[in-house]
Amino acid sequence: MRLPDQVRKLLGSLAEQMIPMIDSDDPAATRLFPPAYVGTDTSEAEQQYRELVDGALHSHHHHAVQVLTETVTADSLSPDELAGWLSAIGSMRLVIGTRLDISEDMVDPAPGDPSEPEHAVFHLLGVLQATIIDVLGAELPDDGEPASAR
Amino acid sequence: MTDVQTVPAGDVRTDTDESVSPDRPWLVIVWNDPINLMSFVTFVFQKLFGYSKEKATKLMMDVHVKGRAVVSSGTRDRAELDVYRLHEHGLWATMEQSG
Repeated sequence: MRLPDQVRKLLGSLAEQMIPMIDSDDPAATRLFPPAYVGTDTSEAEQQYRELVDGALHSHHHHAVQVLTETVTADSLSPDELAGWLSAIGSMRLVIGTRLDISEDMVDPAPGDPSEPEHAVFHLLGVLQATIIDVLGAELPDDGEPASAR
Repeated sequence: MTDVQTVPAGDVRTDTDESVSPDRPWLVIVWNDPINLMSFVTFVFQKLFGYSKEKATKLMMDVHVKGRAVVSSGTRDRAELDVYRLHEHGLWATMEQSG
């Protein structure tokens, strides 16, 4: 796996920042724990869902960040480790993207804009994520459901 | 009291909604969000549900263009598990009973 040292350093640093973020009540971190129920009369169901999954979901996010931290300088990754990278990088994009208030028709900030470095990090994480999807996606069977049966 | 429906005497149920209306499956819905990549959403649908790339791509486009798409359905427990697996992957997923 060819990845510049600066990118590995950046990923290591972002992973370090993610650890306290996952357990925080930072508004951007809440994007990692979306509601399962919306609409009227769902607060009780939502509370039950949260009680059921919150521990596991926190562990899942922590585990992914831990895998990335432990393998950030590795020359090669197992499929499981690569899946950990995908998950950790996805979480970072969600947190940073939420903080930047990313929207679909958003234009890049002007040069010199204070948010420019964070936008650059957001885009870099997207490139990494797309690259990992190319690798992992190629290994998925394409015959899960007969496409002709629609 | 928030429940506006009256329950006939002797018909008080303590089990889940599912057994009350077994013919109404729970729908798992994924909502459009501006952060997740289209290729990532397609990948997650293929990985979690075993959908073909064609079907996963169509669902992803539904999410992207229409704002939401039903990606699976079934019992309440099944739907809750699917929602959880989608949440693990950072997708904005909710569930509701059909009808």
